[in-house]
Amino acid sequence: MCGIAGILLKRDGVAVDTGRALIDMLDGCQHRGPDSTGFALYGGEEKGQLKLRFYVGSDNEAGDAIGRLKGVFREHGADIVADERVGGCYRAVVRFGGDLQRFSYAVEHAAKVLSIGESLEIVKDVGGAHDVDDVYDVHVFKGSHGLGHVRLATESDVKPEASHPFWATGFSDVAIVHNGQITNYWKMRRRLERRGFAFATDNDSELIAVYLADKLSQGVALKDALASSIDDMDGTFSFLVSTKDEIGYAKDRLAAKPMIMFENDDLIAIASEEVSLNRLFPGRALDTREPPPGSYDTWSRSI
Amino acid sequence: MVTIDLSGLEIRRANERIREAAAAGESVEVLNPDARHHIGVGVIHPVDIHVRGSAGYFCAGLTDTPRFHVESNVGWGLADNMYRGSVVVGGNAGAIAGVAIRGAEVVIKGNMGSRAGQVMKKGTLLCCGNANFMAGYMMYGGRMVILGQSGERLGEDMTGGEIFLGGELRSLGSDAELVDTESAEIDEVLAFLDRYEIPFKGAFRKVVNAGKKLRYGAAERQVRSIPYFGFSGDSDYWNRKIQEDVYIKSQIGRYRVRGYGGARELPHLSDLAFRKDIAMAAVGDDPVGDVEMRTKIGGKNGANPLDLTMPVLIAPMSYGALSRSAKQAVAIASGMAGIAENTGEGGMSDAQRDAAGQLIFQMLGGRLGWNIHDMNRADGLEIYISQGAKPGFGGQLMAKKVTKELAEIRGIPAGIDLRSPSRHPDILGADDLVIKVEELREATGYRLPVSVKLGAGRIHDDIKIAVKDGFDFVELDGMQGSTGAGGAEVMEYVGIPTISAICEAETALASIGRRDDIEIVLMGGLRDGVDAVKGLCLGADAIALGTAAIIAGGCIACMQCHVGQCVTGIATQDPEHEARYKSKVEARHIYTFLESVRWQIAAIVKALGYADVRQLRRDDLVALTPEAAEIAGLPYEPGLRDAGPFRAAG
Repeated sequence: MCGIAGILLKRDGVAVDTGRALIDMLDGCQHRGPDSTGFALYGGEEKGQLKLRFYVGSDNEAGDAIGRLKGVFREHGADIVADERVGGCYRAVVRFGGDLQRFSYAVEHAAKVLSIGESLEIVKDVGGAHDVDDVYDVHVFKGSHGLGHVRLATESDVKPEASHPFWATGFSDVAIVHNGQITNYWKMRRRLERRGFAFATDNDSELIAVYLADKLSQGVALKDALASSIDDMDGTFSFLVSTKDEIGYAKDRLAAKPMIMFENDDLIAIASEEVSLNRLFPGRALDTREPPPGSYDTWSRSI
Repeated sequence: MVTIDLSGLEIRRANERIREAAAAGESVEVLNPDARHHIGVGVIHPVDIHVRGSAGYFCAGLTDTPRFHVESNVGWGLADNMYRGSVVVGGNAGAIAGVAIRGAEVVIKGNMGSRAGQVMKKGTLLCCGNANFMAGYMMYGGRMVILGQSGERLGEDMTGGEIFLGGELRSLGSDAELVDTESAEIDEVLAFLDRYEIPFKGAFRKVVNAGKKLRYGAAERQVRSIPYFGFSGDSDYWNRKIQEDVYIKSQIGRYRVRGYGGARELPHLSDLAFRKDIAMAAVGDDPVGDVEMRTKIGGKNGANPLDLTMPVLIAPMSYGALSRSAKQAVAIASGMAGIAENTGEGGMSDAQRDAAGQLIFQMLGGRLGWNIHDMNRADGLEIYISQGAKPGFGGQLMAKKVTKELAEIRGIPAGIDLRSPSRHPDILGADDLVIKVEELREATGYRLPVSVKLGAGRIHDDIKIAVKDGFDFVELDGMQGSTGAGGAEVMEYVGIPTISAICEAETALASIGRRDDIEIVLMGGLRDGVDAVKGLCLGADAIALGTAAIIAGGCIACMQCHVGQCVTGIATQDPEHEARYKSKVEARHIYTFLESVRWQIAAIVKALGYADVRQLRRDDLVALTPEAAEIAGLPYEPGLRDAGPFRAAG
């Protein structure tokens, strides 16, 4: 039960800081989810390097977890370029050229993975948008696109790792945010598990990330993957997905969850409520659009 | 003209100023609205309100007579429950525009989102652009005009009213049909367009309810009822009740509907006993005077709490299920006893309002009888999510009880088998619910406690949502609760027992450290002061009595509440039957019963060694059955099973 937001700058040179924009949009709909807040941020990729983020907490076990992680890095030939601890998170940039899925399942055993990608970094923790920004400095982030999420935990716990965005475990640079409930979660999850995919949580939203990443890895275009998700997923959903250079949305056939978007030559911004979009353009009435039930679309950067 | 700049102003302060201005007859201009929610809710004066920009959710909601002008877009729930007055929106509207309107004129120059006009009852909803999925969903009356495309499933499950479509028909909803138009009604539509200066040249098609689902296909044959006390029969297998069920179903081909409570043996409060032997405890002549019982409920977040002389309320029961006279008797008794009464689904009557000292006004998905004026004269508001006797289902009122007068109050066509919506149009999750709760608070100036009624299902999750969404208290209703009409199997087999409900709620709230942030009123088959004390021991802050109060007021437990021919005049809308009911006499009986509950609570509290009901603890109880021990996490004491609730000493 949540609020979602996404933004993509269509070209370089647009005077919008994506980190700041997402903080503002999420602050605008924080009433939809006071428990935790998260961001999926894209930008600053370096060839041959992976950015990894883990939730290690802040107690004594954090050091042990980081030790275990460094061991796994060594085993899989991932050389650390830089690393740091921020809040409850351990962030590492590594040079890596091996099998990503095997590597990510291996690090999963050492610590809770938040994200792995060349461009993607997921920041999420308990508290509101400003609380999370205070710890993780999301506002300094100036990337090309990103997603955001505020969460009101209903069935699963209020824990950083149970909050959104969800990274598609095993697949570089794919993240989703979701508002709603996937009711055929276990059926779909078992289907994907039989095909060898691992799940890091029992949260239904993670399923969307893995489902889409699986399609992408089979060479299916993001737009087509979104189309099939509407057929395959049961329940209520409005979700956003992002890859290294695209964002997209899908909305269930019952239109049970809100979504509204604003687009101009510079950017596309999507949110649960127009009040979030207006945070980007205060004092201005926007020409917005509510996507119809059962619809989907994608946008990519024109570079 | 009063100008209010929303940049840098809390919506709560803005709404206070809008209402003040409106009361003084001043028009209002709202600057920098930036799609904020709840703009102008609760206005009840005929003034112009100009919103210079876009508004968010529930703009103009819960209002009567104002004229709103919104320059750009609006979010979900435009003009929610608006009685008279008008809204003109220059841009697009989100989902459920015109939800539950009762006479308002709503004009949307652009497109409108899904489920527009859901449960609307009267007035006109005009969309100049395209409508979306399920426009006119479950509408009860009024007129919808769509100049553009219809969207899918137009008029889905509509009960009454008319939809005029100027553009392309994508598809018709279930139980909707196209009919010929008459020139007079088209002239009226065109006159409406003229009035709002909307040019339109095309022709209209008209969609109405096809009438296939308004009544059950076959009526259930009346048979001599088996009294409740013989209901379970001699055999637990092919007994009289099973035989009767099979026989009736062979005639009607569907489930049966009946009233009253479930008849299955389930773990209940009677499976618990007091740990201490209190049979011989000296309670003196006046335990009531010796025990502090006054209880305030609903003040956790700054609202004016209910102030009860004992931790007891009347459970929600509707005018509709019950006769006006029976509701009046309960209200009088509750006032005499100094406790709170509840309207249930069917709206509030003057007689009930005047008789009840404190009255909770209940809001259900159909928004039947719901309105801003009665909200303003209530002492508490309650959002009904579900009820213990039939969680997940809406109310049922058979045609016999849907009289002209009752239909008028509820805003529905008379003579239908009313199956109330089981869902709210604007509550599809915890995130929507929080916005709804705020709307109710905004509309009533944060004066009233807002509660949620939860029929016990997934209490462990639901109660956490209730506290996170900021409710002041929750009315937790277990499976042993009764109803005026429900599917027989549902009443027996759906839900969880009352003791499970309270124990799950306590565990869940403790797990997130939020027990002190919400109050719990427990109901669902509580019968007397003994049950009340056990409920309080398990953690409830107060309990509510429904069936017990009705029995005290003359109910003979024939289980035919749904039929509408109640011989006692309680569960009927037939004037001849109702004439038999003597409200004042029965009010005295109900009051006397409530005083017996008061005495019992006081006596047991005192016998347990306390001077205040708030001192009761879980540890005061033991369980008499393994099931109850497991559910409540209490010590299992089978040796006390035959000793009676208070246990004779020695």
